[in-house]
Amino acid sequence: MTETVDISVDFAGVRLANPVFTASGTCGYADELTDFMDINLLGGFITKSVTLKPRKGNPPNGGRIVETDSGMLNAIGLANIGLDAFIQEKLPVIEKLTVPVFVNVAGETIDDYVAVVQRLATEQAIAGFELNISCPNVAKGGISFGTEPAQVTEITSAVKKAAGEKVLMVKLSPCVTDISVIARAAVEAGADALSLVNTFTAMVIDIETRKPVLANRTGGLSGPAIKPIAVYLVNKVYNEVAKERGIPILGLGGIRTASDAIEFIIAGASAVAVGTANFIEPGCAVKIIEGIKKYCVRKEIKNIKELIGCLEQAQIDPP
Amino acid sequence: MTNELSKPNKGVFDAVVFANKQIRQRFYRVGLEFSGDGAAAFGKAKAGQFAELDLSCIALPPIEGIAEDLRDAAERKILLRRPFSFCDVSSRREKTRVDILYCAVGPATLRMTTLSAGNSVSVIGPLGNGFQMPAGKRTALLVSGGMGAGPLIHLAKTLATDYPDVEVIAFAGAKTKTELPFERPLDEISQQLGFSLHEFARYGVESEVATDDGSVGYKGLITDCFSKWLGRRSLSAKDTIIYSCGPETMLAQMARIAGERGIDCQVSMERRMACGIGVCQSCAVECKVNGSSETIYKLCCEDGPVFDSREIVFKL
Repeated sequence: MTETVDISVDFAGVRLANPVFTASGTCGYADELTDFMDINLLGGFITKSVTLKPRKGNPPNGGRIVETDSGMLNAIGLANIGLDAFIQEKLPVIEKLTVPVFVNVAGETIDDYVAVVQRLATEQAIAGFELNISCPNVAKGGISFGTEPAQVTEITSAVKKAAGEKVLMVKLSPCVTDISVIARAAVEAGADALSLVNTFTAMVIDIETRKPVLANRTGGLSGPAIKPIAVYLVNKVYNEVAKERGIPILGLGGIRTASDAIEFIIAGASAVAVGTANFIEPGCAVKIIEGIKKYCVRKEIKNIKELIGCLEQAQIDPP
Repeated sequence: MTNELSKPNKGVFDAVVFANKQIRQRFYRVGLEFSGDGAAAFGKAKAGQFAELDLSCIALPPIEGIAEDLRDAAERKILLRRPFSFCDVSSRREKTRVDILYCAVGPATLRMTTLSAGNSVSVIGPLGNGFQMPAGKRTALLVSGGMGAGPLIHLAKTLATDYPDVEVIAFAGAKTKTELPFERPLDEISQQLGFSLHEFARYGVESEVATDDGSVGYKGLITDCFSKWLGRRSLSAKDTIIYSCGPETMLAQMARIAGERGIDCQVSMERRMACGIGVCQSCAVECKVNGSSETIYKLCCEDGPVFDSREIVFKL
């Protein structure tokens, strides 16, 4: 019965068997999770950030994460193996996957981003890139590229040239006055897709020591705590930018269940990514895919496209 | 047909609680039983490995049962799993039982105290690398601080079973008598030849005890107690191995003591973890790179939690 439902999605020209990705930084480079899930069942896979040179990440002193109510703060600092090791060690694993793979790219300078993308743009195994201009946990680069419209334009157009035929998805920070301004800048500079939202800059204080719990002072808040804000921001960008330009949105922020994912799709996301939930239930993305199918059957939706951005007006009571 | 090789080494399994007992004050011991693939995976669990428990759906104890200083913490909703090492693992008739020693100190462990026989808990594991066995050694010294006793009790059992020729001695320290995570009242223990902590004695392992306030055993730090003991014994460094688990300040001292005497020492480190399976990068441990001043960050969950003490850069 569920076979009659089509949940495949055309995502900026890439065909996804279903609309569920795993988010960058929550499933490594795909080879770490083989005991827990079949990556090929996903709609798409996004790697952990890759930077030009390896990065150790933030010092571990005092811890790089802290849990909060229904959420967590992380301040990992883009720890990753770097481009060369990615090509040598991880690309061969990715080449064996059938799922479309997007490489999350980060850097300290525009040249860093361009160098990584240029090198990977000819790799058959890669469907596209997710441009991380929204990491809140690094001193240089990261979020600073994603909060000034002029900088968003500059970095997006530079990377777009380097990306060639590959899909360029720009990952937006929610820590801006108007996310639509940033989204518009990215789209006008050539972004093929948008992913939103990255984490919210946040702080937890130890009241005994009166110090921030994280040595980095702040961390990025993720998890169910941010979901309603993320749903709102996806809907805002969909209405104000993405819809009229036909740019697909990858919605993320606190998704744990199929219902969460469906909220994002109704809000305007063409696909969704599961992040923090992978830490708690590795493999939950597969359950979410099944749940989306069941919802479609129950609601007699033949094709998931009917659901994308179908948000209805709320009932407004007369004053 | 399934054979041993086709069974997963680790995974997400549901365990059934068979016992959950308060052993003293805030210390508890919970027993989990695995069947099927979980029994096979945990049947191979080694001392020093750990598991991630999902405690988010477990009920809190009644508010009046929660100590004043934990009431705010108790009200926090929990999201992430919590890592625990094992104090015992035993397999029998296709089932594997895993015992965890824990201390109720926060929102997750407080919930854990309400688990009762028959309850189901989601467990990821077994994870990480356990203690390496003492190949070629004659003496194994197990040194714990507070809750660090758990995995060393498990190790004592493994050594007694698999290395009967190795002499094993345990050292257990805590701030005060009531913070030693052992079940039997310590007053009744003969002090003739050090201590006989039942948890170690059942494997033929003698113990020494230290408390910061001297309420039982040596008065002072377990590392001082251990260091003095080591000074009184003329052990051959190359025939001896130290295994240690406890607070990081203590492990740093153990690394120093072992280093000065040229004794091999394995330490079990602790970090806050989100995933426990090597993807979140939360649990970094700064490690020396052989033969250089450079350091790298290894992951406590995947590269550890047990490390060679010479490897760790302790920052205290």
